Amino acid sequence: MTTEAAPSSPLAAADLLLPAGETPAKPGRDPVNLPMIRSWLEAMGDANPSYERTGTAPPAMIQVWTMRGLAPPSADDPLQVVSGACDRSGFGAVVATDSAQTYHRYLRVGEEVTVRSRLTSVVGPKRTSLGEGWFITTTTRWLVGDEPVAEMTFRILRYRPEKPPETPRAEPIRPVVTADNTFFWDGVAAGELRLQRCGACGALRHPPGPACPDCGSVKPEYTVATGAGTIHSYVVHHHPPVPGRRAPYTIALVDLAEGVRMVAEYRGPRPEIGDPVRVAFDAGLPVWHPDVPTLDPWELHVTPTLIISTALATRDFQNVHHDRDAAVRLGGKDIFVNILTTTGLVQRFVTDRLGPAIRIRSIRIRLGTPCHAYDTLTFTGQVFGDRVEVTGRTASGVHVTGTVEVAPPDGAGLSGDGAVAS
Amino acid sequence: MTAAIAGIGATEFSKDSGRSELRLAVEAIRAALDDAGLRPADVSGLVTFTMDGNSEIAVARELGIAELTFLTRIGYGGGAACAVVQQAVLAVDAGLADVVVCYRALNERSGRRFGQAYASPDPDAGWHAPMGLATPAAQVAMVARRYLHDSGASADDFGRVTVAARRHAATNPYAWFHGRPITLDHHRASRWIAEPLRLLDCCQESDGAVAVVVTSLERARDLARPPAVVAASAQGSGPGQYVMTSYYRPEMGALPEMGVVARQLWRRSGYGPADIRTAVLYDHFTPYVLMQLEELGFCPRGEARHLIADGGIELGGRLPVNPHGGQLGEAYIHGMNGIAEAVRQIRGTAVNQVPGDGPVLVTAGTGVPTSGLVLASSL
Repeated sequence: MTTEAAPSSPLAAADLLLPAGETPAKPGRDPVNLPMIRSWLEAMGDANPSYERTGTAPPAMIQVWTMRGLAPPSADDPLQVVSGACDRSGFGAVVATDSAQTYHRYLRVGEEVTVRSRLTSVVGPKRTSLGEGWFITTTTRWLVGDEPVAEMTFRILRYRPEKPPETPRAEPIRPVVTADNTFFWDGVAAGELRLQRCGACGALRHPPGPACPDCGSVKPEYTVATGAGTIHSYVVHHHPPVPGRRAPYTIALVDLAEGVRMVAEYRGPRPEIGDPVRVAFDAGLPVWHPDVPTLDPWELHVTPTLIISTALATRDFQNVHHDRDAAVRLGGKDIFVNILTTTGLVQRFVTDRLGPAIRIRSIRIRLGTPCHAYDTLTFTGQVFGDRVEVTGRTASGVHVTGTVEVAPPDGAGLSGDGAVAS
Repeated sequence: MTAAIAGIGATEFSKDSGRSELRLAVEAIRAALDDAGLRPADVSGLVTFTMDGNSEIAVARELGIAELTFLTRIGYGGGAACAVVQQAVLAVDAGLADVVVCYRALNERSGRRFGQAYASPDPDAGWHAPMGLATPAAQVAMVARRYLHDSGASADDFGRVTVAARRHAATNPYAWFHGRPITLDHHRASRWIAEPLRLLDCCQESDGAVAVVVTSLERARDLARPPAVVAASAQGSGPGQYVMTSYYRPEMGALPEMGVVARQLWRRSGYGPADIRTAVLYDHFTPYVLMQLEELGFCPRGEARHLIADGGIELGGRLPVNPHGGQLGEAYIHGMNGIAEAVRQIRGTAVNQVPGDGPVLVTAGTGVPTSGLVLASSL
């Protein structure tokens, strides 16, 4: 193979591009400018006034300044070269899976941005829920003059679409309800965490039983726990499959404030022994969550207009984001939100909740199920110091999980806007 | 009166026996009786695990045993392994039966696999399985994580247990992993099952059967093989005991039920940890080997990592553990293959014979009510 010929396979493309390193700096089409910023904010529905007030661009716009739009791809763009090789090998469909952007500073109106990128890895062929495919990872840097202003690790999946196998969804394992523990499960249904308390000596006990091991009386009653505790131990389950659950998931044994222990699933970033948690209830079971400030949820009705206007405002003209027929032909049920928009919506959720002047230092997201037209996308968030963990769900599942690193505006506190609920 | 193990027998250990569990039971029992120089007609008692799928009467029919005077079973999975021998000893001592056979036969790999998620109807399981804690590995992992936290041991210390087992299995022709030793790097690279446990922290799945013949020491002395004297047998359950999920007692990174067994074994046998030549410790999951060493008194609480360092539990080490390769290396026959290995060590016929004539310790399944034996070559 000569270097002039287009590589025929993803691995051949990788062999060609990995040693080539970073591409030369390519300028954006336009300098950072207010009209594009306004269009972007309008499409995102983001009313944050601080960008216009300070003459800066929303950090989540970084990729927009150097999107090629409808221009043909340049011959040295690593993502395009590997994607071409995937096309020729029959992996024609594409989804973005990961984006991790770090912003060294906000861009100012009038600045000229250049972009350089390199191929980081090509991994495959892998079995995925969409079909067999290749994961292509690139690293991109944006510069103003010689000054790096932002960088991004970006991963896409090029795949050969397959109908998912028709596996009957296994029923989750149900609680074993007996005369001795009905009160507990009634409590879960009522949104209460009930602990058995001996009606004679007052001793608390979990798991419950008919007799008190402390005093021997057979007079079980219950009290309602605060739901707060700390992690005594935990497990991350990977294998084998457990009916009704998607691995990996975490189960924690928690020391409740009342002095008894209880097992339940834990949802949140990887815990440590001793971490504080609080109970919530889901699908008839208690679930632990980190006991940290929570952002008020945000429910977004995703219209075709939102998908199309944000795709265009992010200069993403891929047909699956505006042409329903094309989206369906490629195996989707409708047009769907592009990854630049998901990043923008995550940013909007955090600045809406923590205050318009909060500084966004990085946005790292992983995409799950696509967010289609007419879906309702619900964002939830938890604040771990200067880190916000964000999840966006639709009725089909988790669309996005992400981590946003923030810094207080001019040294102010993080929760000053009163939008943080506990 | 004192009882002894007079015969041992087994099928091959495989991943797909190609025959029924009942046939495996019959083959192992015939082999054990041949080993002892006894006939089926000599057998008057049969003992097995509640989990065993072969009824005593079906086994008796297939073997042509006309009459049985002692039939019983022990619960709690692999925790039964040494307790079935204890039952046989009790029956012989009490004069209820002359010759009692203990057996366990299972197609655990080609049939029902114990490692899979299981929706038990037991109310105790209802506090764990619905929450996603539905496999033995995950249930052990909860204890293992806390043990690491409390003891300062590392995941590599779990790995050292499996490296030792595979070293021993490598020179045991009966072991599934014969000729396949591993290093700590293999352990570190094996995939997650339930963090902090990796694949190589979990024992294998096996098809096979093992049987042992128990009779009075007096009678055993007249039989084909040198007797393995049951110097002590013990069963034990601890405070706040659950099956695999004893999470609610103050110290959960420990095995107090094995402490109950250990205290009885040392008291009844007159031996102590320092006398033990080799220990056959139940090893369905590596962390429990560390915790057993502590509960049995081979080292102080939380210090097993020092005992196993530098090949301490390998052949030639401070305390050789599982010279046959254990369930990690030889086969998972619910602990019964460990009893057979202890008998071979007493007889001096093991493939990886540990020198000396001291007593041998055997333990049964951990994380459940459990049991143990001390075997010796003489009283």
